Amino acid sequence: MDTVKSVFCTIVPPHILDALAQAEDPRHHEPARRTLEHDGALRTRRRVTPPALIHADPAGTLSDKPQRTIYDEQHQTTLPGTKVHGEGDHPSKDATVNRANAALGATFDFYLKVYGRHSIDGAGMPLNASVHYGEKYDNAFWDGSQMVFGDGDGELFGDFTVSVDVIGHELTHGVTQHTANLEYYGQSGALNESLSDVFGSLIKQYALGQTADQADWLIGQGLLGPTIHGVALRSMKAPGTAYDDPHLGKDPQPATMDDFVRTSRDNGGVHINSGIPNHAFYLLATALGGHAWERAGRIWYATLTGGELAADAGFADFARQTAATARALYGEGDAVQAVLKAWSRVGVATS
Amino acid sequence: MRIVITRTGGFAGIERRAELDTDGRPDATHLEALAHRALAPGREPGPVRGVPDGFHYEIDVDGRSVHLADPHLTHEQRELIQTVLKEGA
Repeated sequence: MDTVKSVFCTIVPPHILDALAQAEDPRHHEPARRTLEHDGALRTRRRVTPPALIHADPAGTLSDKPQRTIYDEQHQTTLPGTKVHGEGDHPSKDATVNRANAALGATFDFYLKVYGRHSIDGAGMPLNASVHYGEKYDNAFWDGSQMVFGDGDGELFGDFTVSVDVIGHELTHGVTQHTANLEYYGQSGALNESLSDVFGSLIKQYALGQTADQADWLIGQGLLGPTIHGVALRSMKAPGTAYDDPHLGKDPQPATMDDFVRTSRDNGGVHINSGIPNHAFYLLATALGGHAWERAGRIWYATLTGGELAADAGFADFARQTAATARALYGEGDAVQAVLKAWSRVGVATS
Repeated sequence: MRIVITRTGGFAGIERRAELDTDGRPDATHLEALAHRALAPGREPGPVRGVPDGFHYEIDVDGRSVHLADPHLTHEQRELIQTVLKEGA
């Protein structure tokens, strides 16, 4: 553990994340107020209806502060483990606990200030995370109600709390579960994965104040062991190039439909084919420029939460709906043209 | 007894496979007992629904197989999986 901690460092230092979580920067919360999006209850709207801009909390009853609890598994696997940190507690002596807490705060802050969403379910759901899950456990996952992090084995992977985008990725599975609830298999599963990568990356970009051209567009940067040949687990900018290593193999992600992988493994390749919608989002965000969470992210968010995306949606369904969303939000202009071009470049039809 | 474990999925989406022959091992009886219980009737023969980013495991014992998914594993199944992935080839 100690050797792992000394090797890996956080992408976003916890003190910066905490500061951002507390910030009331109008640059961030004004677009959020304009957006005032909502979700869940709108699922029955007709397909032709443009995404509504309705405040999730018209009565103002939901807290603008997260309610976070961190549990320590102490290398066991019975969830959630022992509570070791509550909201407002002093920082723990355990850096993993502090990183998890800070990243939960950064994620809460992002969804609230950028999209007006109160927590994962849009209704102020408490955020729970369990750390130190299992023995040398090389994974992090969303169990349907909370986040779970392993410490990594120290060789292939380090502590899964080191990347804020990993934590944002997991919590976004919760957002998806409470909105479009995309089935975790095949193309809808790859879309589910891609949305977690997209918003995981945006959470990191927002915390760092980066524009689309400044961002690294990597998922899990800092997570690979010190001797592994690779920079991260996935690259949205260049899918298939994140790692190439004798122990891990080569990053299998395709960037376009020409290289779509048909497999029954990994729930039908959900972590493989997500490279295609990931790359489409990268192309859109860099074409539009500026902060990716503003226009590009808002189009994706409104499509995910607008109530019209079917649970079994494929890439083409999602692509068509993002174009419709772009048109509804920004009219017939550069945004919708950039959306159509991005999907065309990855080989996904929008008509 | 030949035990093969294939782990798929997970956040990284990287597959791992390892096999272990219990013949001659001092813990052979223990591992064989774990394997028998992992394959006990009532276990899912086909793919099971897991959770987002959760690992899926296929345990194959002398040609019979069972599918499992995190976090719904027993301590014994986890011990078997850890031993084979760590010590198997």
